[in-house]
Amino acid sequence: MDNRIPDVSPTTSDAPADFEVALVSLNQWQLAWRRFRRHKLAMFGSGLFLTFVAIAVFGPFILPYDATNVPYPLKFCPGTTISANLGCPPLNGGHLLGTVGGTQEDLLTLVVNGSRLSLAIGIGAAAFASVLGAIVGGISGYFGGWVDTILMRIVDVLLSMPLLFVIIVFAKVFGYGDWRVILLVFALLGWPAIARLVRSLFLTLRTEVFVDAARAVGVSDMRIIFRHILPNAMSPIIVVTTLSVAGFIVTEAFVSYIGYGVNAAYSPTWGNILSNAQNDILVGNWWWPLFPGLAIVLTVLGINFMGDGLRDALDPRSRE
Amino acid sequence: MTTMSPSDGADPGTAAPDRPLLDVRGLRTYFHVMDGTVKAVDGVDFSIPPGGTVGLVGESGCGKSVTAHSIMRLIDIPPGEIAGGEIWFDGRDLLKLSDSEMRHVRGGEIAMVFQEPMTSLNPVFTIGDQISEAILLHNDVDKKEAAERAIESLKAVGVSAPERRVRQYPHELSGGMRQRAMIAMALSCNPKLVIADEPTTALDVTIQAQILELIKALQARTGTALLLITHDLAVVAETVQTIAVMYAGRIVEAGTVDQVLLAPQHPYTQGLLNSIPGVKKRGRALSVIKGVVPNPFRLPPGCKFQPRCPYAWEACTASEPDLLPASNGATSRCYLHSPEGASRREAFEKSVAVTMESVDG
Amino acid sequence: MIKYVVRRTIQAIPVLFLITVFTFLLMHVGGNPAQRFAQNAKVTQAQIAAFEHRWGLDDPLPLQYCKWLGVCGDKPIVVNALPPALGGGDNGIVHGDFGYSTFDGRLVTDVIAQRMLPTLILTVTAYLIWVTIAILAGVYAAVKRYSLFDSGLTIFNYVGYSLPTFWLGLMLITFLSVPPLRWFPASGMNDPYTTPAFGTNSYWVFFGQNPFFAIFDLGRHLVLPVLTLVTVSIAGDSRFVRSSMLDSLNQDYVKTARAKGVPERRVILRHALRNALLPVITNVGLEIPFLFSGAIVTETIFAWPGMGRQFIESVGHTDYPVLMGILLIAAVSIVFANLLADVLYAVVDPRVKYD
Repeated sequence: MDNRIPDVSPTTSDAPADFEVALVSLNQWQLAWRRFRRHKLAMFGSGLFLTFVAIAVFGPFILPYDATNVPYPLKFCPGTTISANLGCPPLNGGHLLGTVGGTQEDLLTLVVNGSRLSLAIGIGAAAFASVLGAIVGGISGYFGGWVDTILMRIVDVLLSMPLLFVIIVFAKVFGYGDWRVILLVFALLGWPAIARLVRSLFLTLRTEVFVDAARAVGVSDMRIIFRHILPNAMSPIIVVTTLSVAGFIVTEAFVSYIGYGVNAAYSPTWGNILSNAQNDILVGNWWWPLFPGLAIVLTVLGINFMGDGLRDALDPRSRE
Repeated sequence: MTTMSPSDGADPGTAAPDRPLLDVRGLRTYFHVMDGTVKAVDGVDFSIPPGGTVGLVGESGCGKSVTAHSIMRLIDIPPGEIAGGEIWFDGRDLLKLSDSEMRHVRGGEIAMVFQEPMTSLNPVFTIGDQISEAILLHNDVDKKEAAERAIESLKAVGVSAPERRVRQYPHELSGGMRQRAMIAMALSCNPKLVIADEPTTALDVTIQAQILELIKALQARTGTALLLITHDLAVVAETVQTIAVMYAGRIVEAGTVDQVLLAPQHPYTQGLLNSIPGVKKRGRALSVIKGVVPNPFRLPPGCKFQPRCPYAWEACTASEPDLLPASNGATSRCYLHSPEGASRREAFEKSVAVTMESVDG
Repeated sequence: MIKYVVRRTIQAIPVLFLITVFTFLLMHVGGNPAQRFAQNAKVTQAQIAAFEHRWGLDDPLPLQYCKWLGVCGDKPIVVNALPPALGGGDNGIVHGDFGYSTFDGRLVTDVIAQRMLPTLILTVTAYLIWVTIAILAGVYAAVKRYSLFDSGLTIFNYVGYSLPTFWLGLMLITFLSVPPLRWFPASGMNDPYTTPAFGTNSYWVFFGQNPFFAIFDLGRHLVLPVLTLVTVSIAGDSRFVRSSMLDSLNQDYVKTARAKGVPERRVILRHALRNALLPVITNVGLEIPFLFSGAIVTETIFAWPGMGRQFIESVGHTDYPVLMGILLIAAVSIVFANLLADVLYAVVDPRVKYD
């Protein structure tokens, strides 16, 4: 009799292989993409958003009406005796969304052309603000000490200001209606929120063991921040950046609407299209505010769905 | 009476003195999820006599916690479903009670102690509030009386300075004390049965021993029946009289502590005992049960343990065995105890003897 | 506990100080207001210089800041900051003097005070309505998860959250204020044909004489702006309440309560809700600054004579003193709302250690 510990491994078992074996190993991004794909709302939202991006990029080329060349204004709306002074309703005389304003510009053209700057500012400002915020937050969270204190005081002050008020002042003073400056203004006032998030991420990640390991091998601080910690913090940063695009689009729309944003005479945005609409609205022009606004709403909706999907896909501990 | 028997057939209406307090018959609890239906508990039978102690043992995912929650009817109804069986408690089938009747049973006649005392106690109410709440629900007393009883119950579980503790919040207590408070809460209404779901798993080893001692002492003193659920064989060895081993939603072996731990009758039990590291096994490779717990959506045909079992043969794949009586008085869900398995059983018993030699204590 | 409040208040002081610095610098980045006269050919240099001198715009910047703050002035520096009774001066923020509007010369405090009440009427009404509805809806949706109400609320949340306030306002005007449906007025606080302007003495006289009519009129004008504010906020907040409640319902202590035999209603309202409301309180507390500065968009769309609209008008006039005053009030309210939210949280959550 043998004194070995009995080995309970199945030697002659012809049991069916029902053990789960993963033959393909996926990195975290691929896994996240899989999860994202399964999220129907997120896919729908992304589709919506990308549609508008496509409209922005290609739209102006396929429009029947040239934005800079407004056709000679009509006296009456086609087929009616209504004066055309205040624009004509949709679906008349080849204008899908109608015409607006004394100059009777085609609304579809305006919306499509407006999408370029609206999206550019939204995406650009979000990206820029995130980069700035990530840098500041990363440095602050990693080094701590007086660097952290000073930077966070600045962040506190900026976050205590009512953002819209400050943006309006800056936009008026420096903007001159130039969309690039507007974008810059948004980014320079939007980074504190991201910085605070990144800082708290770094504070937790900094205490992780892999940082000590890297330091023990002699990796420099800067490298640790950017190549070691940052990739781990990427997920929430990506989600917040995505969602902030929506916020910037809406902010630009309002700021341009009240006249301090992008100058309508140079180029349209979804906001400045509406600048002079209020009078006409009061006499019954419903298509003027509806369509540009709908563009904004649908884009923002798409972004929100997308952002939610990203959040669920990138954070393995998501609930619900 | 300490022998285990799959539903001894006692008629619930009768007032037989050795009628079991709790008699679970053919319990089936399923969960309907996106990928299919998980049969977490698939035909479980066991009983507990009044004042008796039973340990339900098994790895994570074997269905022991679900069994406990099913008895208390704490399963979330969608996606869960108690698909079949009867749970006879003190003459009534719990599965047939209305919600309000069940509410009276919970806490008043059957109490439960959970694994994680930090999250199981409400952080915004004091310990005293939470214990008093239970007392007020099941006894006809006023608030003052309930508060006094709460203090008494804390004293009974060995919490020092109970008058002060009663006004503290859960986060102000240590892990061991929190678990004592949970136990106090459970016992405060003098239930007939206490179900303890992994009561010591979340605690330090030294505290574990204290809590187990406490549970044993309380059980002896009050005569409350105890159903102890754990994955730790050592815990069970100290505290209960009978053990049921679960695997993949079924009981695979049942018997007294001596029977199951000193003379296991099921290859899975043997595997569990084998894999306990010990002094006698110094220098040798640790033994494991080869394979993994089956995927609940793709259970193997026949006996659920068969893919990992070194003694399996064709009969094991063909059909699932019932709980068969073993020679020492225990029961085992294994064909080794059928007439056809007699020859293989010798080999099994020999290897069990080897196992027993190398197991400490 | 008191120590905690005091400590947090003291911590807020450097931030407040920096806010004043920032606000001041902000207003002076665009050059000084006298410049708007420079383009007018009829105005001479001497007149501009006189203007600058009168408004103290020719002082060096730090001095201007110091005077504006009230730390510099007639009396020696820092002493000036004391109350007049103790030998201090009477200029500057610390004495409640926010300067004069460069547009119409009125005291900034008067300008702001006149606009504060309309803003508060609008925002407080909206705030109370949306917080109540958001909490009720969020809790109900969490308790009856997967029900029709829950799905409906989720859809409403997504859509509502994506609606820009100003567009929603415009849409409401477009469809409800304009023929064929003239249910609600499109702008203002009161009907200009039948009531005097809000806030003026004649208005209060009128109010005294016809209280019901005045209130009804005010109410009619409130509907659309409040609806605009409430929709978007409910969408955001109810989602938060719902997820907080769901989290709470999934906690172990809820299971313990059920295991004790606690009736379901009590489990939800006492055990789960109490915990779920903790983050909600913080959230709702942090929205308090909105009461002062949040309605800027709505006020603009509906021509509501509040502080937000005043700000926009003053931007148009480059009226720095007014702008600084409004900005300061808004920023300070944010700081104090943060403080309040922290303190409130410490009060209701026994786990918070304040030492």
